[in-house]
Amino acid sequence: MMTLERPLTKNIKPNTPPMGLHAYQAAGGYEAVRQTLGRVAPADLVEMVIQSGLGGRGGGGFSAGRKWQLMPDPKADPGPRYLVINADEMEPGTFKDRLLLEGDPHQMIEGIILSAYAIQADISYIFVRGEYGTAITRLESAIGAARDAGLLGRNILGSSYDLEIHVHGGAGRYICGEETALLNSLEGRRAVPRAKPPFPQISGLWGRPTVVNNVETICNIPHIVLRGVDWYKSLGLDGESGTKIYGVSGRVKSPGTFELPMGTTLNDLIEHAGGMREGYQLRAVLPGGASTAFLLDDQLDIPLSFAGVAKAGSRLGTGTAIILDDRTCPVGMLHNLQHFFAQESCGWCAPCRDGLPWVERILAKIESGQGEMSDLALLDDIAGTLGPGRTFCALAPGAMASLVSGLTYFRAEFEQHIHTKSCGWT
Amino acid sequence: MAKVTVDGIELEVPNGSTILQAAELAGKEIPRFCYHERLSIAGNCRMCLVEVEKIPKPVASCAQPISEGMVIKTDSDMVRKSRRSVMEFLLINHPLDCPICDQGGECYLQDEAVGYGSDHTRYHENKRAVNEKDFGPLVKTVMTRCIHCTRCIRFLSEVAGVPELGATSRGEEMEVGTYVQRALSSELSANIIDLCPVGALTSKPYAFTARTWELRKTDSIDVLDAVGCSIRIDAKGPDVLRILPRINDAVNEEWLGDKSRFALDGLKRRRLDRPWVRQNGRLVEASWEQAFAAIAQRMHNVAGERIGAIAGNLCDAESMIALKDLMASLGSGNLDCRQDEAALDSTRRAFYLFNTTIEGIEEADACLFIGVDPRREAPVLNARIRKRWLAGKFPVGIIGPSLDITYDATHLGDGPSAITALQNGDHEFAGALEAAAKPMIILGQGALARPDGAAILAAVWALGAKYGVMNADWNGFNLLHVAASRVGALDMGFLPASGAKNLAGMMQGGVDILWLLGADEFDMSRITADQFVIYQGHHGDAGAARADVILPGAAYTEKNGTYVNTEGRAQWGARAVMPPGQAREDWRIIRAFSELIGHALPYDDLPAVRARLAAANPIFGEIGQVRRLAGIDLTGPTGEGAFDAAPFRPAVSNYYQTDPISRASPTMAKCVAAHASPLASAAE
Repeated sequence: MMTLERPLTKNIKPNTPPMGLHAYQAAGGYEAVRQTLGRVAPADLVEMVIQSGLGGRGGGGFSAGRKWQLMPDPKADPGPRYLVINADEMEPGTFKDRLLLEGDPHQMIEGIILSAYAIQADISYIFVRGEYGTAITRLESAIGAARDAGLLGRNILGSSYDLEIHVHGGAGRYICGEETALLNSLEGRRAVPRAKPPFPQISGLWGRPTVVNNVETICNIPHIVLRGVDWYKSLGLDGESGTKIYGVSGRVKSPGTFELPMGTTLNDLIEHAGGMREGYQLRAVLPGGASTAFLLDDQLDIPLSFAGVAKAGSRLGTGTAIILDDRTCPVGMLHNLQHFFAQESCGWCAPCRDGLPWVERILAKIESGQGEMSDLALLDDIAGTLGPGRTFCALAPGAMASLVSGLTYFRAEFEQHIHTKSCGWT
Repeated sequence: MAKVTVDGIELEVPNGSTILQAAELAGKEIPRFCYHERLSIAGNCRMCLVEVEKIPKPVASCAQPISEGMVIKTDSDMVRKSRRSVMEFLLINHPLDCPICDQGGECYLQDEAVGYGSDHTRYHENKRAVNEKDFGPLVKTVMTRCIHCTRCIRFLSEVAGVPELGATSRGEEMEVGTYVQRALSSELSANIIDLCPVGALTSKPYAFTARTWELRKTDSIDVLDAVGCSIRIDAKGPDVLRILPRINDAVNEEWLGDKSRFALDGLKRRRLDRPWVRQNGRLVEASWEQAFAAIAQRMHNVAGERIGAIAGNLCDAESMIALKDLMASLGSGNLDCRQDEAALDSTRRAFYLFNTTIEGIEEADACLFIGVDPRREAPVLNARIRKRWLAGKFPVGIIGPSLDITYDATHLGDGPSAITALQNGDHEFAGALEAAAKPMIILGQGALARPDGAAILAAVWALGAKYGVMNADWNGFNLLHVAASRVGALDMGFLPASGAKNLAGMMQGGVDILWLLGADEFDMSRITADQFVIYQGHHGDAGAARADVILPGAAYTEKNGTYVNTEGRAQWGARAVMPPGQAREDWRIIRAFSELIGHALPYDDLPAVRARLAAANPIFGEIGQVRRLAGIDLTGPTGEGAFDAAPFRPAVSNYYQTDPISRASPTMAKCVAAHASPLASAAE
């Protein structure tokens, strides 16, 4: 088996502080910036990213380059433009961005410089989940070092391009992961999503053109610039480009994050995590965090690519799999997940605000042995009315993805709870 | 224009319309809670979902722009099912206490629940309960009923410009409130009662008073400021219980100031409901005959030039023309309507009107305030200025006190010296005025009601002429009046005839007999003891206290009257209830008295009085209309003299108490108390 290339994590060593500026530069860091700023036209950089096939790593999978392309021409609309990095990683089971932020903050900064240059943004905000204190400290220290080295600030490396990066710690709301709610929060407003259209590229932060990208997406950019589109495309499997930082949690031998080719199968991923722990059987997998539908143990050969997982009826999401084993109560797990979503609903739209707590309460009832068979039909019905389009943003439809598939796959367990009037799992 | 199909009906709608607007053009009603035409789009209630061909998901029609060829279904199975589910979610935490809710009978949620609600609930868990909030004396809260549409939040932050409401907590715990408890400080705060689609925000003074279907509804005009807002007076039996705004895009859109809405409890207090005659220094009850006889007796052998009349701020044009005609028949030209002695020039209408018109504000591109506090003198008009300011590129300058007017403004100076500086181009704001194509100046009564008022008026006109405020296409010279009667009085010439006495001339024994028609706003101590005062009006206020004879008149809710607003728009107020006791419509009182003394006025019904008004000035016949006068004639008002260096003081210092009605209102007194010590209520 050939050695896998791991461009995103090559500088990261477990339990070791991240590389400082000199070590990072010695390892080839900021070379992409030197080769690009003032030398490559921003539009060419955008085109390169489109060609690379890089899809948004926050879970959408939409072409990063195409997202950039929607920014208006700065000549037609002069004024501030923003690149906002969504590092509000709060999806249950997801911890891939933390690895990148804590493990290699300069890679993040280099990615931001290149991406901001591509969209002609002059200010960038990194919106970091508030609990990621280490990441915030390391980012701020790295930004200081980069500014001292002339890699940030005015007239970067003599290219006449200016960029400032600000780190903003979130106050702990899942909804801030939704890009427009994030922008509201950044402006000091209540974190509720905004209506789209207008999209952030047209009217984003403070009404100015703004691109919001995920941490991992942006960390790919220096490598694409430095090593080329063909190389980047060759990294992926199943027709996809690049690598992906996958995660595994649940009762596997070594849970954690793994940088693997995009499109690696679920089987291979679990193998990287050491397989299931002794005495546990895999029952089902949430492939990309709590907002994706379950995959069953007969679907482990599907490629973990955006298209591959979609074909199997779920979503790749953040690519961080949560494993459900045979000794964990699926009803309890679903109740736990719905508790999270009900609590994290921002309260803006009626179905999500009032519907999710209802779902949670019915699940709590069933889990505690007080459910009735009619509750299952009711859950089916409510789940349908919290689907896409019914709510303002994707939070409730995401919450329903795991519930709907769980209601189908674990029907027997639900009915058992109801008939025996108890959970029965220890 | 774009072609769309709504429920099989093909129609063309303007580009940029939303699906909801297109559906309305097609005559389809879309239920909604959060959407409101005059607020930003929220899209959070999800009640307005529709089905659009080629879009797999239901679409929120309030927020989605139409596109060419869109095929919209507003009543498909999917749509009905969506609405039913939204209704079910909304009712989960709604208390369904309609029998004890003041909103009952005029509740959007109740109405839509008839169409989309279920006859039983599937929700058997506990409902949430929310602590009440104290928003001050006007707005009552039952926050458990709140469906979180955020209309109130959006109104206060967008229209009123006082962002005092917001939401705290997330998900089901979300609550609308002020965060730190305090009374709402906006003069427009009670509009959130009308906007609230449920019974979460109701009227505190009106709480548990009546049901909407018991009320007699009369369309009328507000007179507590000079804007002339369209109102609906809701009455039951002899009582006015409620005043609400009516939609009038030209004047008040659909807003109303808190005073105009809630001073109505003053209509039941301190009323003059029978005639009084002073005998041996004390007022004693009298009959109409006795009161008239006392006046007639005093007038006997008094020369016309020794009689004078002053019209108050709330007078209808009918009573003023009757009094003017009576005075003329007595040989008196001693008339004045300017209780504040503002230096108004009535020689041309353009000198005393709000020439831009209220709707015209939206066309303006710069604005200068001189001695005016639009927020307290005319809160609804101020909301229109704020609306223009929000649209962008609208520099605002202030000469006068630097007050919070709910939008950004440059302060140029406190007094007349700033006018001189601007005339000389010595301030950067001169650039803003010069750059503007449609600049406007708003001159307040506070700048005119002072010894140098005439010079100020002339100087401001000259300033306007210098900066192109008046031109062939545009007239940006504006006076903002505070008295509802004032423009009508100027239009009919309720002013000293040539050589006759004005208000100051009538004081200190200048006339022997003084007829005060609802005049309470000047210092009564200027009337000497030997002057005989007739007070005709509806409240026992300053004028009545000084009177020798009191003739009980009707308040604006009790008579059919014509009022001309600050723009020069004549409008008809209407009688909603009868005047109390022996009180009568004011022009009829004067007509009756004129007959007694042998000078019968030549009209004895309302159409005849109005014909007389129209003969005096045709604008009284142009009801609801406004003539926008171009500013071609730049000849200014004549006013000379030096400026007084004193800073300008706005005409209204206490918004809640400006007239006999609001001074008699306990609710207005509560507002004054609430805003006098906001910290005390916050600390409770």
